[in-house]
Amino acid sequence: MKRKSMTVGSRGALRSVALLATVGLVLAGCSSSDTASETEAEATATQSETTEAAAEEEVDTSPIKVGVLTDLTGAFGIVGQSNQAVAQFTIDEINANGGILGRPVELVIVDSASDPAVGAQVASKLVNEDQVDVVIGGVASNMREAIKDIIATRGNTPYIWPASYEGNECTPNVWNVGAVPNQQVDPVVNRLLAEGKKTFFLTGNDYLYPRSVLAQVRKVVEAGGGEVVGEEYVPLDITDTSTLVSKVLASNADVLFEIIVLPATAPFIQGVVDGGFEGEIVGTLFDEAINGIIGTQADGLLGIQDYFATIDDTFSRDKVAEFAAAYPDEAGLFSATFNAPAWYRGLYLWKTAVEAAGTTDAAEVEKTMDSASYDALIGGPASMVPGTRHAQLTMYLGQMNADGSVTIIESLGSVVPEQCG
Amino acid sequence: MDASLTRSIFDVLSVTSILVLLVMGMAVIVGMMKVFNLCQGEFVLLGALTAYLTYEIFGSVLLGILLAPIMVGAFGLLLERTVIHRFYANPQGALLATFAVGLIIREGLRTTMSTQASPVPAPISSSWVIFGATLPVWRIVIMAVTVALLIVAAVILIKTSVGLRVRATLNNPELASASGVSRKWMYAWTYATGSALAGFAGAMIVPLQTLYPNLGFDNLITMFIAVMVGGLGSFAAPVVGAVAIAVPGSIMSILINPVTAQILIVLCAIVFMRLRPNGLLKSGM
Repeated sequence: MKRKSMTVGSRGALRSVALLATVGLVLAGCSSSDTASETEAEATATQSETTEAAAEEEVDTSPIKVGVLTDLTGAFGIVGQSNQAVAQFTIDEINANGGILGRPVELVIVDSASDPAVGAQVASKLVNEDQVDVVIGGVASNMREAIKDIIATRGNTPYIWPASYEGNECTPNVWNVGAVPNQQVDPVVNRLLAEGKKTFFLTGNDYLYPRSVLAQVRKVVEAGGGEVVGEEYVPLDITDTSTLVSKVLASNADVLFEIIVLPATAPFIQGVVDGGFEGEIVGTLFDEAINGIIGTQADGLLGIQDYFATIDDTFSRDKVAEFAAAYPDEAGLFSATFNAPAWYRGLYLWKTAVEAAGTTDAAEVEKTMDSASYDALIGGPASMVPGTRHAQLTMYLGQMNADGSVTIIESLGSVVPEQCG
Repeated sequence: MDASLTRSIFDVLSVTSILVLLVMGMAVIVGMMKVFNLCQGEFVLLGALTAYLTYEIFGSVLLGILLAPIMVGAFGLLLERTVIHRFYANPQGALLATFAVGLIIREGLRTTMSTQASPVPAPISSSWVIFGATLPVWRIVIMAVTVALLIVAAVILIKTSVGLRVRATLNNPELASASGVSRKWMYAWTYATGSALAGFAGAMIVPLQTLYPNLGFDNLITMFIAVMVGGLGSFAAPVVGAVAIAVPGSIMSILINPVTAQILIVLCAIVFMRLRPNGLLKSGM
């Protein structure tokens, strides 16, 4: 595994003359690494045996560096604020319990400003200048695409992608700890089919995530004997959703499965609800936050997430209460759609992997993270499914209420991701 | 008539009336004054923001709808006297300057807003059931208001002496000022009127589109296409242009899908402008 990623890394570096400067920085880090810490050696060490031997001989108490890359400003600024607070909360907790491998953990936080070009720059800084041991972050998939090669491939540093997303991210050193389409879609669609709801209208914005999720919905609906009576995509910059609303109403479908993102979410759902739609409205982006966006028309929406504030789990409730006490300004930002449970989960799964490996060395963590598992997590236990780079998660089906709370309809248990296999 | 056909016809009328309402301010500034005003979308945004703020502070969207034309009109007047009037002889400069003003407003709001989008409720949230179709009353109000505003604008421009002076100044500034019309203030007030109309439109439509920083910008492209298709030099041409793209646009949205409709409309507009560079109407009132 290590040899493989090393080869990819050097090929990537040779591809472009512009990268010569970066290579220089990495080499500089390498020459100083044998005296400082094993962490710096991981990027370019040619003989891991030497490093491991050195680590065993002397007790290392230098801090482990966790790179946090998120959108603190720009369109996703609010999500980034939540991510930063959750990361800080998690690391404070880990440090209070003795750190990792007896070493303290420190955060290096960078702002990717909701702009993949900025993300690429700060990702490079984390890996090459700060020489972090792991990077966690990214809000939207275009950010992940912009930074993953810099971190995981060329930087040979573990990268945790903590978001529910469209799937198919199978790059070495990249670990996906959020839900993928089948984890959100399969349980709820099968449940609705079993309830006798057979006709589905699918709609979303015209980009990868909605199309991937709705492709999964179509697959499960058709396999289960249901029928897709309409499938319609709208541009991301749509200003008037009235014609789409009319199509949904005309379909008389039993279920509307929708992934219309902001800013059209509220006008669309309000239009459908006020227009008298009688079926169920289901989405992968609904949680406690949706009331603030849609208002009272959010009453009755069905959402599938890896966490809701009302799940019947004492550990989750206590932890989130601790978080709210520690970060009163961000207390309302601990939600599934802001990836808060996934950030907590990702950091603990990585901690488990590092402890199993006995080192932060990327090649060793690549082996142990493959089957990392942890129970004391917000939302419930999670484990990486070996060979898939994705996590098996506990999922919940919740119904939104007019007052902003969520009633848990069903705890769906642990759902296996269908990925990279 | 069945419910689904009723809804389709209603959608076409609704989409068209919204675009006409949005374009009216632009018809004054771009159509009549020929200032390529790239911050026109942000005037709409400021109107929407006014409605949002009066709703948040006083609990009334209606108050915002009344205040929006005054606030945005005053802002337009200030902008004309400080920035825009310097660029009448320099259209490229005006393009850049108005783009910059729009950028400042848009990004300023983005950094101030704590959420990506904030809903604003319609002042009238009820629906009417017509031929079995449930139709939101607010959209009907917008249709009525748009028609009323068009009539008022036409009467002012054609029948009143103010309208005569405006048309005279815009058609022949030298002759108008020789006849005793203050060119400076005529331009300033015309620009302010265009701003006020855009602000009013923004406050009217924000319940249907939610408040978000790109609200104006996302509408701007369609508004500009409407003006280009309709033609410059008059108030009527951009309005006709708005109808000419909104009707087929919404029909294609219904019959095909919104993504394809958006592409086809732009494509048709480009072909049309190549064939008829001066637009549908060459000159008018």
